[in-house]
Parts: sequence; structure tokens; C-alpha cells
Amino acid sequence: MLEFRAVDTHYGDLHVLKAVDYRIEAGEIVCLLGGNASGKSTTMKAIMGIVTPSRGEILYEGQSLNGVSVAERVRRGIAPVLEARRLFPRMTVYENLEMGAYTRHHGHEFDEDLQRVFQLFPRVEERLAQLAGTLSGGEQQMVAIGRALMARPKLLCMDEPSMGLSPAYVEQVFDIIQEINRQGVTIFMVEQNANMALQIAHRAYVLQTGQIVLSGPAASLRENPLIREAYLGELRVEEAPAAE
Amino acid sequence: MVELGAKASALSRPFARLSPALRARLGILCVALLAVLFPIIHGNDADIDSAANALAFAALALGLNIVVGFAGLLDLGYAAFFAIGAYAYGAFASWQIQPHWSAFWEPFQWLTLVARVHQPTGDLVHFQVSFWLMLPLSAGIAAFFGILFGAPTLRLKGDYLAIVTLGFGEIVPIVARNTPSITNGAMGLNGVVPPQLFGYSFGVKALPYYYVAVALIALLIFTSYRLKDSRVGRAWMAIREDEIAAGAMGVDRVRFKLLAFAIGAAFAGATGTLYVAKLQTATPDMFMFPVSVMILVMIVFGGIGNVWGVVLGAMILQILQSWILEDMSEWLHALGRLIDVGWLQQIQLASSIELIFGVILVTMMLYRRQGLIPATRRTAPLSLEEQAAQIQRGGFRSLQGLGTVDRSQTDTLLAIKGLTVRFGGLVALRSVDLTVPAHGVVAVIGPNGSGKSTLFNVMTGLVSAEAGSINFAGEEIRGLAPHRVLERGIARTFQNLRLFAGLSVLENILVGMHARLKTGAVGALARLPWNRREEREARERALEILALFGNRLLPRADHLAGSLSYANRRRSEIARAIAARPRLLLLDEPTAGMNPAETLELVEQIKSLNQLGLTILLIEHKLDVVANLADKVIVLDHGEKIAEGTAAEVRRDPEVIRAYLGRSAAVA
Amino acid sequence: MNYQVLLQQVVNGLSLGAMYSLLALGFTLVYGILELINFAHFNVFMVASFIGMWALQLFGIEGQGRVMTGFALIGVLTFAFAVTMLLSGVLGVLIERIALRPMRNVRGTAAMITTIGVSYILFNIILLTVGADAKNFPNPLPVVRWQVGGVVLEMREFLIWGIALALMIALHLFVSRTRLGKAMRATAQDSEAARMMGVDVDWVIVTAFFLGSALAGAAALIFGLYYNFTNFLIGYKAGLRAFTAAVLGGIGSVTGAMLGGILIGLVESLGGQFIAVRWTDVIIFSILVVVLVFFPSGLMGRATPTKS
Repeated sequence: MLEFRAVDTHYGDLHVLKAVDYRIEAGEIVCLLGGNASGKSTTMKAIMGIVTPSRGEILYEGQSLNGVSVAERVRRGIAPVLEARRLFPRMTVYENLEMGAYTRHHGHEFDEDLQRVFQLFPRVEERLAQLAGTLSGGEQQMVAIGRALMARPKLLCMDEPSMGLSPAYVEQVFDIIQEINRQGVTIFMVEQNANMALQIAHRAYVLQTGQIVLSGPAASLRENPLIREAYLGELRVEEAPAAE
Repeated sequence: MVELGAKASALSRPFARLSPALRARLGILCVALLAVLFPIIHGNDADIDSAANALAFAALALGLNIVVGFAGLLDLGYAAFFAIGAYAYGAFASWQIQPHWSAFWEPFQWLTLVARVHQPTGDLVHFQVSFWLMLPLSAGIAAFFGILFGAPTLRLKGDYLAIVTLGFGEIVPIVARNTPSITNGAMGLNGVVPPQLFGYSFGVKALPYYYVAVALIALLIFTSYRLKDSRVGRAWMAIREDEIAAGAMGVDRVRFKLLAFAIGAAFAGATGTLYVAKLQTATPDMFMFPVSVMILVMIVFGGIGNVWGVVLGAMILQILQSWILEDMSEWLHALGRLIDVGWLQQIQLASSIELIFGVILVTMMLYRRQGLIPATRRTAPLSLEEQAAQIQRGGFRSLQGLGTVDRSQTDTLLAIKGLTVRFGGLVALRSVDLTVPAHGVVAVIGPNGSGKSTLFNVMTGLVSAEAGSINFAGEEIRGLAPHRVLERGIARTFQNLRLFAGLSVLENILVGMHARLKTGAVGALARLPWNRREEREARERALEILALFGNRLLPRADHLAGSLSYANRRRSEIARAIAARPRLLLLDEPTAGMNPAETLELVEQIKSLNQLGLTILLIEHKLDVVANLADKVIVLDHGEKIAEGTAAEVRRDPEVIRAYLGRSAAVA
Repeated sequence: MNYQVLLQQVVNGLSLGAMYSLLALGFTLVYGILELINFAHFNVFMVASFIGMWALQLFGIEGQGRVMTGFALIGVLTFAFAVTMLLSGVLGVLIERIALRPMRNVRGTAAMITTIGVSYILFNIILLTVGADAKNFPNPLPVVRWQVGGVVLEMREFLIWGIALALMIALHLFVSRTRLGKAMRATAQDSEAARMMGVDVDWVIVTAFFLGSALAGAAALIFGLYYNFTNFLIGYKAGLRAFTAAVLGGIGSVTGAMLGGILIGLVESLGGQFIAVRWTDVIIFSILVVVLVFFPSGLMGRATPTKS
């Protein structure tokens, strides 16, 4: 469904992604793990077309996304759930949802999608007329996911959906992600909460300083000692990594 | 063969053998000779007059360059200070103000500052303060107004600052127009006294003014250079590059911004006095917005921040205005007569000078923002050997560059109690308690958004707390300005890297030392022996600190910080913080963006810093780093401390496992 | 104090205020999205007043010599407003495309300096081509006056208020109801997020420049019809007053710009009456400085001119 072929990106003088390859099949939940400044958010921006690869190619449904506008990507079914929600704070919840469906025309489809969002998030319906900036963090995350669903996506790109949420909400959000996936939406998510993400994901990539250092089925990655050390950071106090 | 080639190139470029410093001196000598000889070679009084005017504008450009180029404060009303300097001389050396004579004036008469004028209706006072006295005095008066106008604008963002300065720039001429008792309003000042030197009156001839202008320019260029390459200039440029980081590295932003306003205004004040003495009148129109814009165009054209660039820019534009456009108009008229086209014979290019200024401004902004002579210089590329990173293991090998750390404190260095921070409705930190023992390493962990960086920001004075106390070495530091916090011995790095991208790596380190050095504006100008020694020692120490990181930073000392790789930027930030000689070092994700080898290298280096006696508080995501370094770990979640203990203890804490490691770990 | 004089000045102030509001909206629309103070706006207004003058002259109206009534008047005014707003809107868009778009991602004050340059160019083009003397602005409005309790009300004042109010309501509806209007607000609040929703941010910026400049065009015609003159200098004075209005209302806020405009109009007319006209500029600049320094978010604003 989505494929990165040896993608490089630069930000000014900084070389961010270095010959990165991803492959995401339809119907999967794929998780991208990595520390801060490893290139995760750049990956998301490259998929959406905010960042242009300096080399390599991104393919979506077999077609190159080179030169394809952001609007066209959304229209073709790629929708983002942005890091830290990024709702439009001084617009109502309803208007935020409308913005999600910006590339599509209103009509009965819009109402259908709205109903679908309400089914997933009954709370959103209650808050429709409220300004998005006045919602709690968890409610904002629901609106952010709902906003992305309003684009009727085939591929949902989620940037740290658990960030800043309390544990109860995190579990709820992850349940909903699985539910959305069961409805046929492919999910590519960047996460920090690695254990949680690896539980629901089918496959995962581990990104470090702009390079993929590890990839494979989520279940095997969970058991991989490398990931436990390098990223999950199991506190291996008993055997603190001596300066080898 | 090779030798022959080298010889040939050496022959073709005879100056290549000279050292750069010598070459620069020769260049300056040539320019100075040219300036001095120009009136002798070219005796036309009108042209000397134009040249003197051009020099006056070059002086203004140099002053604006201090404010805009060095300190990065866009001032759109700079002509106001020009006006203040002009009217200062105009008021104290003209027939404008003539109070009645009384005994009060006698001492001033004795000092020859005033003269007694006999009038049938009663004697009057004639102000005739010497031009040579007024030159520095006007500079002082203008500097005072610079501080006065600058003070309210300090907190404003760049574009708003520009608007407020524009407002002041408007108000000054309006006030001049509306207070005719002092300024004679729109009519202009009457009978400004021409300067005298050893009894020789300058009168209306251009030549003496030209030489005064040359001398003034020489002084201002000297001043600009001395300031630029000093602690003061570096502080300005740090503010220009990143105000927040400048404050966190110990630069008193209020003080240095006001200093820039004051010195910039002083340049304009002195120039105003020269200008009004030469013209022997002043009207409010001479100081309106177009003049401010013209000076701005000059520095944009020449190269904002480059001393010679702005002088050149000002000279070129002034010469364009007074010579070239006149000549071109004449040619066009001749062409018009030749081909018999009426409008060509009418054209007056000089009147379109402002249009040309506008076009120059837009063109430069679009196509060459750095101006004719860019302020930042190119650096030679590194050799392969220099590029190849030597991986260093086992921490810093030599630590003498770090100086000594105060080991007197033996108990708790930092004690935070009940710290609460709120942004609008969001609680970023809720009643957090935290202690850091002297010479210990404490780590703060927690998911993104849990309040870790806010904790650092509130400690370093970037964010204000709602409640709680921060006690550092027995002193309450909550609410102190960032530079005060640094002065007390807390230095930090930033998660998102806040190096001064437009400064060299070495300059970044030197800014880090700001609070530990003493040279001020006067010292920078005078360069007394102790100033020279301080500067030399600072540079030596900065190089030693860079050398700690092996060949990662040292070969790049003169490179712009913005051109470094990610990992080297992190190292430079740590080096900059170390340069401040802190007792407590705050590291915000020091290993973010580094690969495992680089991480390991840095962890050992941090460890060696600690062994030297430095207390360290770090935010980290990589838990193996935390486990390896920290004596104590604090876990934050949603702004609350949910656990505290050794890494092993924290790991067993069910609350931590749930919040931080997710439910699988809780099950496992 | 004579209350009739006071009321008369309030009436005058409201007319000036209506004009400043329209002009202030242009600053606020652009600032809301780009965080850019657009100095070119000053002289887009000035150029627009000449466009309006030429548009009216097409009907053979010179100065106050030809008074029109009824449908002829409505037709001429509609045409003049439509042409002026359209052409000044296009001028705004051209400025954005040619001079400002390349500056979009340049940090610091470079883009603002560019707008100063553009403003300067417009100013000098008019000065060099049209000349420095004030032009008699064609005014086809009949002089109809009513005396209400000693206060003189003129028909043209009602006309000015009506036009300004209608335009502001139209703008409000556009921003709150239409798809593009919502995209504009979304872009102002978080441009990257709006882009990710598929909003064409370039197009939104073009729209903001068009609308802002078109409103400046309307303000310019109102200026001409109110003062019966125009020259190359009007942009500077009116522009700074309108900018002060935008800051006073809270730059970035549409309602704030309207409110701020009215307040500045009142300050100008009342200050001119009760203090002195020659000090009006100083008063207005002082308001600008005081608001920026002490109340940086203005009456309605959320954007803060101070650093975080």
C-alpha cells in the first residue's frame, strides 16, 4: 500500500532520513519506533508531502507520490493524525471535523462519516459546538482521530497518538486504533510507548538517527533483546551495559 | 613542475604571501590614504561636499548597523536620533534660543559656552557651545534617548519592535515641528554657528567638514570593530541569533539591548551635530521616515552586520544619488535631443532616487539578503583526516580546560519543593519535589509531554512557576532572570538545540563564558592589558574545551554552528554549557539523535564531568543511559512525580511500569 | 464643553473609524496567517484611491461639479467600488506573488523589510507619474444635510457607514460560513495542520491578500468621498492609523480590527477638536506604543507581540 524506496531527506544542512525503506501492506498496523530526533516525524511529513525527499521515492498504491500535492494525497485516502493533536483551537469541534473532510464535498457521505465518528466517539457528538481548544487532552485526541476519519482514509498516519494522555486514555485510544483497523483502514503509526504499540501492531520498524536499525513482526521485536536494550530501555540495572 | 606552478601563482598574486592581518592593514592604509588625498586630487568643492554628505550617511549606517546588524533589533525610526543630535547642536549653538541675560550665565560666559549680546531692550544670551564639545555631548544626549526609546520595546518581538521605533521616529520630527520656540518649527533653525578650530572658522566650505567626517568615520569603524570582536559584540550577536539561548547562557538581555540602542543612537547623535553644523540649519523634514528607510537600504545593500559593507553601501548609494544619476540624466537629455524625443529631455533620474531605493531594497531581499559584502565568512573545507571522527572511549582524557569546580558544597545542591506550573488551564507541573545532592547525577524520565522540559525551563527562569520553591546552594532562585540563574552556576542545554547558528563554534563557546568574563563596552574599546589578557585566556580555554571532544569540534572551531551535524551540535551545546563553569549542569536529552556508539561515548564523557565534581541533572529517554549514569531517577507523568529512587527501584515500581512502559510490561 | 460639538465629532469619528476599520482588516487578515506586518498595505490603499478617482472620472465626474441622484448614482458608485476593490485586490495578490512568496520561509524581519520596499516603490511610482499635488477627488454625491439637535448629519456619512457595515458583515459571513473562509481560519490557527488536511495554503494566502487589499480599495474610495481629495501621501497617515487600530483591537482578530478602527476614528476626531490637530499623530503613535508595550494582545487579540 505504501512504500518508501531509499528515501533521503534534508532539513537545511541536516541529513534527516538516510536511505530509508518502509513497506506497509493493506490492512496492517505498522508501528515506527524511535527516540526523539530519530526522524519519525519527518517520515510522517514525507508521507503527507510536507517534506520532499531529496532522493528516493515514496509509492502509494503502486504509484509514485513525487510531485503529488498534499490535497491530492488526502483525496487519495491518506489522512494524518498529527503529533500533539494539533486541532484548530478556536474552531468548534464540528468545524474541526469539517476541516478533516476538506478535500471532499459535503453531502450524504459527510453525514455518514460523521455518524461513524460519533459511533466510535460518543463524547465527540456531545461536544460538537464547543471550541476545540477548550477540550481535555483525551477528548482532543478523539476529535483528532475523528477529524482524520472524516477524510475517509485508506491509510491513517498517526504521529504519537498516546503522547500526553493518561494511561486510561492511552488504552482506550489503542483499542480504538485496533477497531478502526478492523474496519479496513491501514494504520502506520509513530509511537514512543513502545510496549503498547508493539502489542497492537503487526509489524514494526525501529528508526535511529535516520536509519532503520531493526524491523520485523511486532511479536518477534517484542522479544528481541536488542530492542529491549536499545529502545524499549528495559532498565537492565542488574547488568548495566558496561563500557565494552 | 609543482614548484614552478606554485611560484607562478605566487608571482601573479604578490599579496598572497602576506599574512591576512598584514593584508587587512595594508588595505585599511590604502583606503585611509585615498580618503585623505581625495580633496587634494579632486578639488571640486561641490564634489567634496557630496563626499562629506556621503560620509555622514555612512556614519549613520554604521550606527544603525550596531542596532540592526549586531544586535538584530530592527529600528525603523533611526533618523530620530540623527534629529536629536542635530537639534542638540542647533539649540546650543545658534540664535534660536535667546534667554535674557542674568548673572546665572556669567560662569558659562567665562567658559565661552555663551556670549552676551547687547540689545536695546535688554541683554540676551547667545548660545555658542563649541562644536568639539557638542560632538560627544550630542552623542551622549542621543544615547540617553536611545535608552529612553529602547526601554519600553525590550520585550517586543522583532516586527513590533520595528513598529514602535517607527512610532518614535515619527514623533520626534512632529515634536520638532510643533515646538517652534526651540526648533523654529518647519522654518528650520537660524544661524547655526559654524565650528572653529584654533580660531579658524569652518564657514560654508565643504573641505573642513569633509575631514571631520573622515575622522568621525574612522572612529566609528574602529569602534564597530572593537565592539564586534569582544564580549559585548558576541553578546549582541547571541541575542540576534537566539534570544532565549542568549539569556540562558548568561547574557543580560535588557542591558545589552539597551547598550546597542545607546551606542547606535550615539553614532547618530554625533553625526547629526556634524551634519547640522555643515548645513547650518535643520528642518524637521530632514529626519522623517524616508531618511530612516534610506539608512536601512544602505545597510541592507552593503551587508547587514558587515562594517565595511555598510560603509560601502552608504557611499555607493549616496554617490549614486549625487553624481551618477545627475550624469545619467544629462546623457538621457542629450539622447533625447539627438533622437528628438521630448520626454527623454525632461527626465530627472535624481528625483526617482527613492524609487530606486525601494527597488534596491526589494531586489536585495529577494536575491541577495546578505548584501554586497556578507557578514559571515566562508570557511575552508576540512581535510579528510579532520573529517574522520576519532571515536573516544573512556570519557574526557584531559580535563584541565574545565578549570576547577567548587567542591565546597557537600550536601544538597538543589532542592525543589512543591513546584507547580500552569499554562492556561493545563497543569504542566503539579507540586513536584526534587533534590539533587552535590556531585551527584540525577535523571528525570517520563513520556513526552510529562513536564520534563518545563521543569528545566522553570529552573532556568524561562517559565514562571505558580507555586513552590527552587533552592540552589542555599539560595532561592525561583523567578530569577535566566542570566542570573546562570551566574549562580546553573547551565543548561536544550532538547531542540539552541546553538547560535550564525556564529562560529568557537564564538558559541565564548558566549557560554559570557558571565565569567568582565570586559564591557569601555574595555572592549580601550583593550587595556587586562582586557587583552582576559580575551586571550578565554579563547585558549574555549579551544581546550573544544579539544575535549577530540577532533569532533576542534577542526570546526571556525565553522558556523548551523553547519554542524546533529551530534556535533549536541556536543557544541554541552561544550557551551561547560564553558559557563556551572556547578549544576542541566542536560536535556543529550543523546537524542545520536547512534549507540556516539551515545556510549557521550555517556562516558558525562560521567567524567561528574567525576570532576560537576553535579548533573539530566532528562533522558534512553533508559540504558539513565541506568548507567544516574544515582537517582525521578519519574514524571502528567506533571506529577510518580516515583523516585535508584534505577532498579524505579524499574520495579508498578506505577512507573504502567505509565511509562505500558501494560505488557505490567503483565510481564 | 459643548455637547453638540462633541456629538458632531463623534459622528465624524465614526465615519473615519469605518474607513480605518476596513483598512485595519487588511493588516489583520495577513498578520493572522503569515504573522507579517504588511507595510505595502499602506500604499495599496493610496494607489487604490487613484484607481477610484480614475474609475469615477470615466463617468465624466470631475471634482464636485457633477451631482448624481437615483439609480445613476447607485450604478456609478457600484461600478466604482467594484472596479477599485477588484483592481486593488489584484495589486495585493501581485505583491504577494512577486515579492512576498519567496520570503515565506525566511526567518526574522526580512519579509517585513521587503514590504517596506514594496510600499516605497508604490509610493514613488505614484509620486513620479501623478505628481505631488493633491488631486480633487470626483464626488457625485449630492450634499444632503439634516440638523438633528444641532448636529449636522450628512447623507454621505450614512452611505459610508452602510457600505462599511455591509462589507464587514460580508467578510464575517465569508470567514465563518464558507469552506474557503474556514480554511483561512484554520490556516491562521495552525498552518501546518491545515496543510495536512489538504488546504492549499498558497491559495488561502492569496485570498487573504486579495480580500485585505480589496477592503483597502473600499476604504480608499470612502476616503476620497469623505475628504474630496487624494495625493501620494495619504497611504502613510491613514495606514499608520489603521495599523494602530489593528493593534489596538488585537492584531489577527477580525472583530478587533473593526472595533479598533472605530476607536481610532473617534480619537482622531475628538483629539483634533479638543487637543490640537497638529498633535493628533503624536496621540495616535502614543496609543500604538502604549498598547504594544502594556496591552500587547489588544482588545480581542490572541496573538502576542511579545516573546513567549
